[in-house]
Amino acid sequence: MMTKYAGKKPGFFSRVDQHVLRLLLVMAVWMVFMALTRASRFYTLINFQTMASQFPEFGLMSLGVMLCMITGGIDLSPVGVANLTAILMALVLKQLTPAVGGSLPIYAIPLVFLLGAAIGACLGVLNGLLVSKVRIPPILATLGMSELLTGVSIVITNGAAVSGLPVEYAMTVNSKIGALVPVQLVIFACMAIIVWFLLNRTTFGTKIYLLGTNPQAARFSGLKNDRLIISTYIISGITAALGGLVMLANYNSARANYGGVYVLQCILVVVLGGVSPTGGKGRISGVVLAIVLLRMLETGINRFPQISSYYISLIWGGVLLLVMVLDYFSNGRRYLRWKRKMPF
Amino acid sequence: MKRTFSLILAMLMVLSLASFAHAQEKDWEIVVVPKDASNPWFVRMKVGVDEYAKETGLNAYQKGTAEIDATLQAQLVQDLIAQGVDAICVVPVNPESLEPVLKQAMDAGIVVIAHEGASLQNVDYDIEAFSNAGYGAFIMDNLAEAMGKEGLYTTMVAHVTNASHNEWADAGVAHQKAAYPNMTLLEEEVRVESEDNGDVAYNKAKELFKKYPELKGVMGTSSYDAPGVARAIEELGLVGKVFTSGTGMPADNKALLESGVVRSLTLWDPALAGKAMISLAVKVLNGDTIEAPIDLGVEGYTGLTFKEGSELVLEGQGWIVINKDNVDSFGF
Repeated sequence: MMTKYAGKKPGFFSRVDQHVLRLLLVMAVWMVFMALTRASRFYTLINFQTMASQFPEFGLMSLGVMLCMITGGIDLSPVGVANLTAILMALVLKQLTPAVGGSLPIYAIPLVFLLGAAIGACLGVLNGLLVSKVRIPPILATLGMSELLTGVSIVITNGAAVSGLPVEYAMTVNSKIGALVPVQLVIFACMAIIVWFLLNRTTFGTKIYLLGTNPQAARFSGLKNDRLIISTYIISGITAALGGLVMLANYNSARANYGGVYVLQCILVVVLGGVSPTGGKGRISGVVLAIVLLRMLETGINRFPQISSYYISLIWGGVLLLVMVLDYFSNGRRYLRWKRKMPF
Repeated sequence: MKRTFSLILAMLMVLSLASFAHAQEKDWEIVVVPKDASNPWFVRMKVGVDEYAKETGLNAYQKGTAEIDATLQAQLVQDLIAQGVDAICVVPVNPESLEPVLKQAMDAGIVVIAHEGASLQNVDYDIEAFSNAGYGAFIMDNLAEAMGKEGLYTTMVAHVTNASHNEWADAGVAHQKAAYPNMTLLEEEVRVESEDNGDVAYNKAKELFKKYPELKGVMGTSSYDAPGVARAIEELGLVGKVFTSGTGMPADNKALLESGVVRSLTLWDPALAGKAMISLAVKVLNGDTIEAPIDLGVEGYTGLTFKEGSELVLEGQGWIVINKDNVDSFGF
């Protein structure tokens, strides 16, 4: 067990930091605005259920990207991993379907999730090896990986969609537990809790924060940096694969080019969530809030026929900059005050 | 200071956004979802949708995603379902990924009309601008007029394996045999491949004109065929002696049309397709019985008939001619 370094251990909600407060403020502003203008159409059960079934796709991928960014790296391959996994699992599901009339065997869905996660883990190992052993900068290694995986997906499918899947899979993942909670949300919540546990209740979490803060200090402290990096990319591969499996269910088909916009969305969400792009800093509460905020913004904007979709990227960019400016105003000032107190 | 600053920013945000939003209530809310919002083809569709909404006073509007992406489109449709709109008219990016979402819409009692999504199952109706046979005959009419209804001609397709191109070409030849007895098909080479490439079309045409000096016309099908052939006609100095017609995009071929190398190209107009979708959605919402032929009151969509063997796919006569007079009016 590593000793806890004082005051650095972030809790889930126990010690809400300034950044999370600021995200909550932006979210509250948006919710008040929606209440004032579109209350009857935004505050409905079905609307919240729809949003809760939409964000897990890129939310799952963002969790992995977040871990990589905490180590000081980045993962640009989640969409590539997700699509390849979805395509392979779609083919498996088709194989498992009896030729005539029968339904999917009961073990099929757990099997697909296990196999999918395993594929994600394998691809994560590859990413991790490229980053740690071959020492390719993470941004290039994972970008190359993303292109490679998309290429493999296109070769497997000839660029067409794999469809005609048994309905049971999509129905199971698309259903709502107790007619209320979407299954996609449950999958996302489980993964989020696992990642929270890893970051805050295990030495692994403490180690990757240290690794991200200062890799040299980490090495001299006796950490096995390479092994840590590989583990991180494995987790990222698994979350991306799960994102792919949710996409497979949502669209009941898989294709090499689904979710192309998610790569940038994931990075936007993670940075918006307060994870430092240089590593070593970031909380899951911030990232989860940012994921929900992003979805609420997009859904909210879709409520206004007059507002063109061009504004969505404008507003995302605006929100990102706004949060960072607010960050500067508090952190920057505190930093200056602290600096002034220093004797030299 | 910080708190005041945040508060001011927050208030500014609410105020500036509130200026966008002024709700207008009308009986039905009909939304057209194109593949994206910025592609000139769908910008043209929006022109039609806005025009139609203004003419009829309907609460109909087009809402597209910022880029062409199957997942974004599906999520937009999901949002519209949650919002409880009355009808969704959609041009699918990818039919497979939209099926489960459109099923949700149908289950929620929303009228679903598609365009260029003939394979979709979870729709009330799908509107196609035309039947393949009708469009082929239309191209032939244009070619025949340019050729003076006489002379030797051949047909060009992207690939002989391309289903729709070959149906157009077959229909064109059949129409020539029925309507233009003084025209003859070049028996030695009845179908030339352009490989969906303007340069290949150009080279193939040059070869053809050298090999068969009496050849007077080429019927194009892919949007690269007629423009490629026209370049060959111009270069070999055959303007006024040899003619071509076929599918082509207006802006790309402005120079060819204005210089008279090509008299007319053929196409369908997304603005009219947008109007037709809304008009059909209104009919379905009204509970009108939908029986062929259907008159949607939109040019080219006044006698829609069901595609053979389908109860969902409707075909119109929505083809249009592009010539030097109207080439600037489309915006793409």
